[in-house]
Amino acid sequence: MTSNRQTEDATSADREVQYSQFVALIARHDQSIRRFVRSLLPSQEGVDDVVQETALECWKKFSDFAPATPENAVDEFVRWACVIARFKALSWQRDRARDRLIFREGVIEALAAAAMDSLDRQESERRAVENCLQTMPDDQRQLVLSVHSPGESIAKIAAETGQKARRLYSRINVLRNLLLDCVQQRLAGEATNG
Amino acid sequence: MDESIRSLIFQAIDQTISAEDFERLQNAIEQSDEVRADYLNAVSLCESLSDIAAVEDNSADAPKSASVHTSSEFMLASHQTNRRLTASRWARTVVAPTAIMIVGAAAFWFGLKDGIRRQEQFAGREEITGTNSESVIAGHATLRRSVDIRWSEKSNSYREGDVLPAGMLQFDQGVAEIDFFCGATLIVEGPATLNVESDWSVQVASGRLRASVPPAARGFMVMAAGSTIIDLGTEFALDVGAENAHVEVIDGEVELRGGEYDGNHLTTGQRRWLKGSGNDDSLAGLSTTGDLQRRRGMAQAQRFINWQVHSQQLRADDRLIAYYPIAESSTGRIVPNVAASGSERDGQTVGLANRVDGRFGEMSSGFEFDRPGSRVRVRIDGEFRAFTFACWTKIDSLEHRYNALFMGDGYENGEPHWQIRDDGCLMFSVMVDDSKEIIHRTPFDEQPVKDAGLHRVYLTEPFWDISKSGQWFHIAAVYDPVGREVVQFVNGEELSRQEIIDRFHVESLRIGPAEIGNWGQPFRKTPWFAVRNLNGTIDELAIFNAALTSDEIRNLYEQGRPLGY
Repeated sequence: MTSNRQTEDATSADREVQYSQFVALIARHDQSIRRFVRSLLPSQEGVDDVVQETALECWKKFSDFAPATPENAVDEFVRWACVIARFKALSWQRDRARDRLIFREGVIEALAAAAMDSLDRQESERRAVENCLQTMPDDQRQLVLSVHSPGESIAKIAAETGQKARRLYSRINVLRNLLLDCVQQRLAGEATNG
Repeated sequence: MDESIRSLIFQAIDQTISAEDFERLQNAIEQSDEVRADYLNAVSLCESLSDIAAVEDNSADAPKSASVHTSSEFMLASHQTNRRLTASRWARTVVAPTAIMIVGAAAFWFGLKDGIRRQEQFAGREEITGTNSESVIAGHATLRRSVDIRWSEKSNSYREGDVLPAGMLQFDQGVAEIDFFCGATLIVEGPATLNVESDWSVQVASGRLRASVPPAARGFMVMAAGSTIIDLGTEFALDVGAENAHVEVIDGEVELRGGEYDGNHLTTGQRRWLKGSGNDDSLAGLSTTGDLQRRRGMAQAQRFINWQVHSQQLRADDRLIAYYPIAESSTGRIVPNVAASGSERDGQTVGLANRVDGRFGEMSSGFEFDRPGSRVRVRIDGEFRAFTFACWTKIDSLEHRYNALFMGDGYENGEPHWQIRDDGCLMFSVMVDDSKEIIHRTPFDEQPVKDAGLHRVYLTEPFWDISKSGQWFHIAAVYDPVGREVVQFVNGEELSRQEIIDRFHVESLRIGPAEIGNWGQPFRKTPWFAVRNLNGTIDELAIFNAALTSDEIRNLYEQGRPLGY
């Protein structure tokens, strides 16, 4: 009886340790996983759901997660989680196949493979976006940010400011294209500069 | 980079793209590395812009984006900041002690806590008591799909999704697709007799089959006519008759053990007669997964049409209080009441009651209530003399103590509660006097139960366990104050018949505000609510102001059966 109790204590203590490890890892990679999931879905819709399901599944399978060495755990975890996220994104879209604008499986697979390669670039990408925004004139910067504010859309802002949506779209797209090129150049520069 | 493709990319991100252009974009993403990279960069850029905009916008007082979640704390935590979550917040929220069966309305970041906590409870319960053993099911394979199957009289019969235990499978006609747990799949054409031995092996006494063996299932064994066929990967066909037995490798390699060809390896296109001899074409035309799917699709469509015809007739029944043939509609949050009582009694989905496939597959739809907040709300005013509830539901798991089918909000006098207990028993009850607090022992539990109000729960024997997960059931409950009895049915069969004694007799029945698939208490005074959402799908619900007869219930089941029932 005593030995049983001890075993139980040990198990629950193990579980607690696993828990804090899991929590630390998932909190650290939350943003990467979210971004990865977003890349595989056609819009923001469903991202929360898929990330949630991914996190749950990761916890369920956490005892299977076996990094080669403890030092590798951090890097391996996000890759491992993204493999799970890919399945979750696939099944999420499969369930919604009747809706418009759902990626077919081949596209999701292709995107997942490519997004997996750039997982570690997210931090520098974000920095690059910030730097590129700084180089823009204030009004342009505000304009491009405004359409990406929570709850806003180009159509809505066009209506509010009395502009033709078409015209606004093309202005925003010019800015986004500039930013896109700027970011890629910065990242390429970073890569060559080490 | 082609500017027009870039413009499509941004149109896709802004959700303004047309269906044709979306198709073009998908093709380009699949075909070109460059487009793929560009798409990912653009998504990433727009996400970063959103994050930056959200941070700068953070001073804004109220969240602008519409959200399905109602808790303001939740939205502040997840959306208004840049969605970053620190480890300490995770740790704090995940280990926060909470009462079983209760969830804080101020749920933390997208509800993950609930799932993890639930698992902890399960793990914890087992560790502490040691008596609630882990659930186990005996079996080696599942019946994945079937078409036109007729099980032999001597044999057990199975439905799609059933777990197949060790032992004989015998059917006189039809095609069955059987997935062994090792990963191998057999498509078997009847008449056939098989003996399932393990996750890795099956004996074939008679029948034609195609075995597909993915790398994970290499080593899968099929025994026939004194030989063992060991699949070393991919696909082979087998025909076993009374006089002869014939094997051919469609693709890949098999090894033969025992019998005349002991030790032989056969590769793609090679064949052997294991017993007797005959026409080399005997394996031609063997069903493929594709054939099975097509035949199944056609048969399923036929069932769907039959049901629709019946459903059209049913809605003219003037005993109907409300009728929600969810399976036939495909979009929107309104759940139309098609009975004569009309749109006053339409339902409305709340939270993530997702539309998913209904019982007739992808041509039909149902609502899934797998999140604690998922629900379909209705308001059904009036007084009634009897109740018959009938629904089609697919239960994924009974994860709460009580799992709602249809529940009156406040559970006030005359209001019904229809639910499933976690041990698979159906429960139907009507509140008799909500002003009394009653302590009693139920004959089933031997546990003292404190009840808020005088009512009697009419329980059936268990009809569900985890091996039935994912299967559709027709469930009905008849509450008949005049005939003084409560009768409950599963798949048209009577499961229990219980008397309504004087003490629990109610003549005047009501429904009022109520929910399908969950229990709503919007007038409660605290943010806490009992979690009773059904982890499953409902695709049809009919409520009658009458006690339907057993024959009528049977008929509802017969006319609404999906394929495989």
